[in-house]
Amino acid sequence: MKKLLTLCVIAVAFVVSVHAQEKGSVLIKNATVITVTNGDLENTDVLIRDGIIQDIGKDLNAPRGVETVDASGKFVMPGIIDAHSHLNGVDINEARNPVTAEVTMEESVDPNDVGIYHALAGGATSIHLMHGSANVIGGQGETLKLRYGTTQDGMKFEGAKRTIKFALGENPTRVHGQGNGIQPRTRMGVEQVIRNHFDEALDYKRKREAYLSAKAEFDRRGRGTPPVPVAENLRYEVLNDIIEGEIYVHCHSYRADEILMLMRVFNDYGIKNYTFQHANEAFKVAPELAKNGAMTSVFSDWWAYKFEVYYSTAYNASILNANGVINSINSDNNQLLRTLNHEAAKVVRYGDTSVNDAIKMITLHPAIQLGIDDRVGSIEEGKDGDVVVWSGHPLSIYSMAEMTFVDGKKYFDRSNDPNDMRIDIDPGTDFEDGANFREIVTRREDDACLQDAFILMQNNTQN
Amino acid sequence: MKKLNIFIVAIALLFGLTATTQAQITEKPEFGKFAITGATIHTVTNGTIENGVILIEGEKIAYIGNNIRVTGDYKRIDATGKHVYPGFIDGWTGLGLVEVSAVAVTVDDAEIGQFNPNMYAFTAFNPHSASIPVTRVSGVTTVLAKPRSGSISGKAAVMDLWGYSPDSMAVKKSGALVMNLPSSTGGGWWDDRSEEEIKKQYDRQIKEINDFISKARFYDDMMKAYEANPSGKTQPDHDPRMEAMREVLSGDVPVVITADNEQEILDAIEWSKAHEGMNFILAGVNEGWRVADEIAEAGMGVLTTTLYTPSREYDNYQRPYQNPGLMADAGVKVAIVSDDTENSRNTTFEAGYAAAYGMGTEEALKAVTINPAEMFGVADKIGSLEEGKQANLFISDGDPFEPMTNIEQVFIKGYKIPMQSRHSQLYEEFIDRDAVNK
Amino acid sequence: MIALLILGLGVQQVYAQTTPAHALKNVTIHNADGSATESATIIWRDGVIEAVGTNVNIPFDAYEIDGGDSLHVYPGFIDGYSIWGSPDLPSNLPDLDDPGNPPYYRSGVQPERNPSDLLTEDKNFETAMKAGFTTAALYPNGYMLPGSVEIFYLSDDHESVELISDKVGMAGSFESAPGGWGSGAYPSTLMGVMAKFRQVMFDATALQQHIKYYSQNPEMPAPNRDQVLEALFPVINKEAPLYFEVDSKENIERLLKLQDEFGFGLVIVSGKEAYAKADELKRRNIPVLASVDFTDAPEWYKDDEKKDDESEDSETEEVEEEISEEEQAYRDKQLKAWKSEVSNIKNLMDAGVKVGYASAGLDLKDLNGKIKTLLEESGMSEQNLVQLMTRNTADILGINRTHGSIIKGKNASFSVFDKQMTEDDAKVQHNITNGIIHELNGE
Repeated sequence: MKKLLTLCVIAVAFVVSVHAQEKGSVLIKNATVITVTNGDLENTDVLIRDGIIQDIGKDLNAPRGVETVDASGKFVMPGIIDAHSHLNGVDINEARNPVTAEVTMEESVDPNDVGIYHALAGGATSIHLMHGSANVIGGQGETLKLRYGTTQDGMKFEGAKRTIKFALGENPTRVHGQGNGIQPRTRMGVEQVIRNHFDEALDYKRKREAYLSAKAEFDRRGRGTPPVPVAENLRYEVLNDIIEGEIYVHCHSYRADEILMLMRVFNDYGIKNYTFQHANEAFKVAPELAKNGAMTSVFSDWWAYKFEVYYSTAYNASILNANGVINSINSDNNQLLRTLNHEAAKVVRYGDTSVNDAIKMITLHPAIQLGIDDRVGSIEEGKDGDVVVWSGHPLSIYSMAEMTFVDGKKYFDRSNDPNDMRIDIDPGTDFEDGANFREIVTRREDDACLQDAFILMQNNTQN
Repeated sequence: MKKLNIFIVAIALLFGLTATTQAQITEKPEFGKFAITGATIHTVTNGTIENGVILIEGEKIAYIGNNIRVTGDYKRIDATGKHVYPGFIDGWTGLGLVEVSAVAVTVDDAEIGQFNPNMYAFTAFNPHSASIPVTRVSGVTTVLAKPRSGSISGKAAVMDLWGYSPDSMAVKKSGALVMNLPSSTGGGWWDDRSEEEIKKQYDRQIKEINDFISKARFYDDMMKAYEANPSGKTQPDHDPRMEAMREVLSGDVPVVITADNEQEILDAIEWSKAHEGMNFILAGVNEGWRVADEIAEAGMGVLTTTLYTPSREYDNYQRPYQNPGLMADAGVKVAIVSDDTENSRNTTFEAGYAAAYGMGTEEALKAVTINPAEMFGVADKIGSLEEGKQANLFISDGDPFEPMTNIEQVFIKGYKIPMQSRHSQLYEEFIDRDAVNK
Repeated sequence: MIALLILGLGVQQVYAQTTPAHALKNVTIHNADGSATESATIIWRDGVIEAVGTNVNIPFDAYEIDGGDSLHVYPGFIDGYSIWGSPDLPSNLPDLDDPGNPPYYRSGVQPERNPSDLLTEDKNFETAMKAGFTTAALYPNGYMLPGSVEIFYLSDDHESVELISDKVGMAGSFESAPGGWGSGAYPSTLMGVMAKFRQVMFDATALQQHIKYYSQNPEMPAPNRDQVLEALFPVINKEAPLYFEVDSKENIERLLKLQDEFGFGLVIVSGKEAYAKADELKRRNIPVLASVDFTDAPEWYKDDEKKDDESEDSETEEVEEEISEEEQAYRDKQLKAWKSEVSNIKNLMDAGVKVGYASAGLDLKDLNGKIKTLLEESGMSEQNLVQLMTRNTADILGINRTHGSIIKGKNASFSVFDKQMTEDDAKVQHNITNGIIHELNGE
């Protein structure tokens, strides 16, 4: 009983000590440091002070009060970044309209999901929490740091680029076309939905700006005929922000033709920063992607779970990499998120990709795609102290994350890892109650992108 | 693998051949007499042989050891510095039955009806599935292809992954009978039935299953009596469903029961006690670690995975990874499977996680080779490297549990199979898409 | 059926304004400030208290009721947010041709509805009277913006429920559009509701501007008048607060974000996790009409308590139920979470947040049990409780000048109990609402 109490106290103390936006300091000594941008440095120390990597070198001394971690024989790698996750979304799909640019996952963050801790235990430190793929233009995404135990705002990756989800192909055409009998039901319709909305948004902008300037003029002069008010429109405002480059597009897509279509559309509207998500057939148009500076974020080996990924290959990432496309490996799945290091390792197996390039695909490259590469994605002085200590080389199946730091603060420690890491506890649920049984996520899922929307497709897919 | 592919591309360019654009296997296998030399041979059942030799003659392994000078007309494969393993067995997959899971017309693993012991996965197993080459070049040479619907789903088949007909690929047509017992605990948070409703439905479904099995026993007894001495008896009508149950009732074909959480496992064990003579295996078993002793005591083998999220809110993050090892420690025979279709190849990494989290490499290796072979009654043919067994094996440049390891050559039933698949062929075509022949 | 009939007979308006004045004498008055006056008398006329005290003259024209020094009088309880008398929501909605662009009512935006136009028969009115409630703020059943909040004197049947103040606020919640998966519409998610709320506010803002311009410039194109958007003008203009039903800490944060953007006045309703934001609510001067509808204590905890009681009585050693370390750790967390929930109101009060009471969906038959738990488990005093249900709620609803205490000049709305209200089986004998005596015959 006494032992038990001690355990409880530790558990509580662990959670309580994690506060919003706390920055930490630590000196990690004698590790093999996988810097990503500057090779692997053996027997090297990394000093993080107040959340920032201050020094990388040999024989560093711990400033007073800074904890030292002996990492002899171990590896230090930047925290894994998942460019495609639905880990802790309250809702994923606002699937009732083909365009929902106005909704944002920023307002759908559940900071208490114990899956956050599971991801930290897999060496992940940031995720791109995305809207689902039910809509051609879905909701905005939110890049999070996995600061487990903080608030929804506390999880936000400050300074990350704004992002938005687009989706092409089967998902939007099934949900809206087959499910609701409205456009788009084909890939032809998908293109027009995008173009029409961009055009409407531009018209809106013109009218809104004309109204605002006429109103200013009217208010200034105090006479004449006032303008008819044009209401602020959230959806069109966001679409204009996309056109103006303030928002990075992350587009769920699979087939080569639809990837080419979107690049054509984006070229017409001058949209430059975008990443094709999943993009199982991206390898077929790798030269065009490279030419347009488009990026990709793919699965290591998922294929054939739906028709639009039937003619694809696990060598996708290697082909893209060889063609100079900035590619990341993502999870889109709460289990895969726990093992992204090994997903990256598969890229080395499937093709001619080097180990360091494979590691880039789960660190620096997703950081570039989210506009946070000035802060994370490599171990460099001045970057954030989001690092993981691994028991061995992180691409080995036998290696485990031992400590996960975000902003220099330790959020996961394998040597102090209580079983029950829940934060948000429903007092009405007893130990054996069904409510304690999680939906088990295997890696054998349809894309999690369609969470909340499956039922809409099932309505009318028999036709 | 990658080196191999580059090699192929180079050869293709050298001879002015265009790379293949179809996702078909265009190379032919080789068959005959092979000598693999210089390798570290992981026999699984008889330890590890350094710098060993394997002789393959026809479908079988003719010799394993390091005490021989290879002479004669063997095709030589120098595997110095490499490793040889028995082909891995994925003991729980939809491979061959499901081509694209989201396209209903390509899904052949779920027949209509509650009781379908006479449905044979063997029949619907498509030897030309694009997923089969993808799987076998990764070292998985044999699978248990399984049906999944209803209370009794049908017979799963043990299939080798090389051949042009189910007949030539079947290691055992009736590998196991697949059963789904109802859940006495409900389906979790998304199940809104009341406790009484769940209990009532459970009792009713269990009774239906028991009734079916009682009828099958009666039929079996009746047929045995008739077969022993037909004279003077009217021949009973043939019943295909009852007929299909006979090899199950005798224990010749095992029954795989799906059970995931603690209560489902205990229910399955309890239920199985009332059905003596039959031979039971559990599949799923996510919470096996909670009741490992009970499973061991019941003498049931398990088919399980590792790569899934913890089943309860308060579970430690690594329970799924530790589960196979914890069960093995308790004395349970464990097979690690993919529970996947197009990515059946990932059986290796499912096992790798078990190896890393407590089971150890040696036990985890058994869990994808000899253990499933024994459970499905095919250990005389596959599951280890032994003289006289089928030549199902692969050569790798390292530990096959490691995702960075390359599987360099696979043999199935003595065939040195082309290391080609849709995936490798698309790679070859698109790695340098716009190159032209000059 | 028989039971219903008997209940129906239980409430009788016996003395309804048949005399110029009333006097209730020889009673103990419990006021919201914690004071209790024994052998006191209350005089009221035309719904207003004329005199209160131990030494008052009963006017010649007052009908006297003698409490016999055994009755306890409390200011009438006020329910700060209740759905009583609201018609049921329509079911089986037809599918929409374009679920992405539904009419307002199908997206859950119905701010133009008022409870006073909708009141329908509801046996809860009578049950509320019997529980000591004399006054309630009502809102119509609905979705994200279901209608206005209005304050009523209670009565036993909905036709004599009487309006005190109309449109004191606008009801709101994060409920998505009606219809669920089958016939549902935009917004179907929490983030969708947030976006839709903003868009409706923008549209209302533009319409209000247009109406204003047009009233001064009739030569310009006329606005399309819209009762839905126009109903939101008081919220936009910060003239009427939003009464927003919200429980989780995260949803409270989302609501505060909307308040930052639009600056509307805000009353949090229900607020089960409001304690987690107590300091911020205090800083923003946001009151909470708190629910007491907390989770039942864990079964094992109730069993333990029972065992403790029994063993105290019999002094026998109970054999402890064997549970695993894992489950014990679970229970410790569970109990801690439960205690937090039960202590919500107390913690808010301690932090200086204005807290009132709202049934917010509570089944009134559970009220006594919940109040008992509140007093036993959260360390709240009876005085706190009376304050919560009377003066504080009146204060939040903006009717504290007339309601919430028994003093001269205030509205004659109070409840007469046969015992102190916190005693077991205390019952309401009479309920005086706006001066009208409702005699409640107990069972």
